[in-house]
Amino acid sequence: MGSELLHKSAAKIPDYEPIVGKNTIEELRMLADKLSGKVIQNVNSTFSGGGVAEILSRMVPLLSQLGVDARWDIIQGTEEFFEVTKKFHNALHGKKEKLTTADFALFQEVSQKNIDDFKSYGDFNLIHDPQPAALIARKKDMGGKWVWRCHIDVSNPNKKVWQYLRDFVVQYDAAVFSSPNFAQQLPIRQLLISPSIDPLSDKNKELTSETIDAVLHKYNLDKDKPMVIQISRFDYLKDPVGVIQAFEIVRKSIECQLVLAGGTATDDPESEEVLEKVRERAAGNPDIHILLITPGSDIEINALQRAAAVIIQKSIKEGFGLTISEALWKGKPVVASAVGGIPLQVKNKLTGLLCHSIEGAAFDLRQLLSNPDYASWLGKNGREHVRQNFLITRHLKDYLLLFLSLDYTSDLIYL
Amino acid sequence: MNEWLTENWLLVTVPVVVFVAFFIVALWVRGATYKALDKRLNKASWQGSQFIVQTTKTPFFHWWLILGAFVAIEISAMPSSDKELAVKILGSLLVTSLTWVAITLTERLLRFYMGKIEIPLPSIGLTVNVVRIAVIVVGVLVLLDIWGAPTTPIILVLATVILVVVIATRNTILNLFSGFELMSGNLLNVGDYIKLESGEEGYIEDIAWVNTKIKTLGGNIILVPNGKFTQTTVTNYGRPLKKATKPFHFYTRLHLKELTGLKASNIAELARILNEVPDSVVYYHTHHFLEEHQYLTPEPANDFALWISDAIGDEALAEKLASIDIFEFPNIGALRTRLVSVINEYLSTNPNSRVAPEGREFHFIKSTSVILPTAYVANDLREFIQVLRGITIDSLYFHVFESRLRLQKGTNDFSTWLQECLGEDDLANKIAKLDPYNYTLEGLRSAIIQLIEKRIK
Repeated sequence: MGSELLHKSAAKIPDYEPIVGKNTIEELRMLADKLSGKVIQNVNSTFSGGGVAEILSRMVPLLSQLGVDARWDIIQGTEEFFEVTKKFHNALHGKKEKLTTADFALFQEVSQKNIDDFKSYGDFNLIHDPQPAALIARKKDMGGKWVWRCHIDVSNPNKKVWQYLRDFVVQYDAAVFSSPNFAQQLPIRQLLISPSIDPLSDKNKELTSETIDAVLHKYNLDKDKPMVIQISRFDYLKDPVGVIQAFEIVRKSIECQLVLAGGTATDDPESEEVLEKVRERAAGNPDIHILLITPGSDIEINALQRAAAVIIQKSIKEGFGLTISEALWKGKPVVASAVGGIPLQVKNKLTGLLCHSIEGAAFDLRQLLSNPDYASWLGKNGREHVRQNFLITRHLKDYLLLFLSLDYTSDLIYL
Repeated sequence: MNEWLTENWLLVTVPVVVFVAFFIVALWVRGATYKALDKRLNKASWQGSQFIVQTTKTPFFHWWLILGAFVAIEISAMPSSDKELAVKILGSLLVTSLTWVAITLTERLLRFYMGKIEIPLPSIGLTVNVVRIAVIVVGVLVLLDIWGAPTTPIILVLATVILVVVIATRNTILNLFSGFELMSGNLLNVGDYIKLESGEEGYIEDIAWVNTKIKTLGGNIILVPNGKFTQTTVTNYGRPLKKATKPFHFYTRLHLKELTGLKASNIAELARILNEVPDSVVYYHTHHFLEEHQYLTPEPANDFALWISDAIGDEALAEKLASIDIFEFPNIGALRTRLVSVINEYLSTNPNSRVAPEGREFHFIKSTSVILPTAYVANDLREFIQVLRGITIDSLYFHVFESRLRLQKGTNDFSTWLQECLGEDDLANKIAKLDPYNYTLEGLRSAIIQLIEKRIK
């Protein structure tokens, strides 16, 4: 087992006060005080790479700053083990995967080694995702409260894999999911804790107009022409071709440009194919820009979102879809498909527009590009919605409440 | 010597006689003058007059003697150079005496008047010393002038020093004078509750020499330079208000969303599950919008109405559910009964309800409330307003929504306290009658504050 006790993070708790208000920070400190003396042990499979590591690298230092003894460990595994867990991950997402008896045996074998090596010192053990889920075997001898935190979209999981995993999950005191449609029939408590964005990260912090202009210049984008943008990896499920079709309908009557910006996943051979199809579809249209963004270019993504007139996310299937919160935080009007966690972020006609088809997306884009006041009103509401519900401070609050609530069964808890 | 005296006895005798005469006249004049003064001043209401009498009675006699000596010297046969020296000595004595009188008199008057307006002792001492030094400086300058020393450069140096000190301490001086104005004008008094235009507010603890000490309701001490009072708008609310028999302790409520794993894909399923789930589920779906979308106005509909509109596309039923007035219901059970009956009634005439698209099912969520005490307490209406302005919307939400409906208290916590602990029945009723569902939480906060402000004005 690897251990990471202290992580460096540029953001400090007081830095969030101008964004969320003094009272919210006071509430966090009040909750953190109640956990004084308790140890929270996070366990996942890696210290770097992937969304879980990213959120833990921010949450753990912030919890420490609040006076909560939060720690972070990882499990050890072979390359083969992680190939199996990758298959688990895909299968839980609903993707077709061939999992053999040997795969399950390998998972069990490596998990057993981690179970034997696991040093539990937490009053609360927060186990993230399927890879370390088997550690629950230590609950009996180690004691403490155990929570399984599922970051995966399990709304339509491969039944065989879910059933296998479920046997571990039901031994926990509680499970946490990111979206209501990920909920399962379980005999334990299931909490809903939505993911969050960090307003002080490179992807979301305020940028100067010079920085934004420099990025537009780099990609040869016309800053004076209204820009519709979709930022996501090139994947059929993000329907980039559908976005182009919607744009073409809009472009007939409104002068504007489309930007499709994203990367290709190295572990997904389909993504190169999708990118090729998108390029073919966009060929010859000078108003469509296909940008291949290298991983880690957070400031560029931030700049492109801030330069946009409308941000679109026309996914066919979506997990939580945190790019929506990123767009809303920048005060941008959003057109998005009503799938996955998107309806939690976009309340139709209040914080953005939800669509169900190419024609619907085109209609919504036209509405927003032709009515800047309406677009601005939606953007303003959207930003407030994110401030209230999808910032990292809310995420911290939910975790603190989760730990504090584990000793109670009532739905009214007096602390 | 004897020979000279024999020849010039008159030259000696006359000045001596004149001096003795002045001595006798001085005794008589002082007696008569101060007797008359005593009579007059006893009738006068000015209390400072007694200090003038006490301070000048002895020096008055000295001044007559100096006058007598001066006249005697002037008529004597002394050489003019000796006369000049003697006059300088007499002049110096007179200046010294006048300086002493000026110091003593101003000191007595200052102590008397500053004591009356309750200025702290160190401040009085400082003022007296400053005045004492100023009078001595003037006296010394006059003495130097008598003895022919050049005073102009000294005056220039002094003037420069004073100018520099005044410029350097102009704020302090402004504060000093403002302090005098505050203390003498009876505009502000210790114990008054004031609010400055810049936002600081609290009870005046002390009006000191340079600063005024304000104690906020949170217990913090703010030192406001007195000069600020002349440059800003100050609202004086006067003396403390009636204290409550029990203080109001503010709580806050934070909530966790708990998934039930139950979901409905059509209206009939929705009604069936809605009838069976715990109250906390009904509460969540009829209230979470208030907190999560508190910046929106007017009030968004409950989740059931929104889902039926967005996912099922049945606008008629959605409208019926959205128009249910939650404020009418005393508890969640009654609200649930109404929701289910509206849906069932609709289903009886529209049995073929549509099915939500895959992924758009209605997921039942339970609200788990975590209730915590805050550090905020109010003992009277003014303190209550002050705290109400600063508490989180979660706290406001708890005392208004959660208490009334979920904890089934019948009304909001504020009204209960106003009625039971302050006897403010009318105000309590007005707040209880506010339909909180018609406001954003910030709008509700403002509405309650306005009602209370109107009451205490």
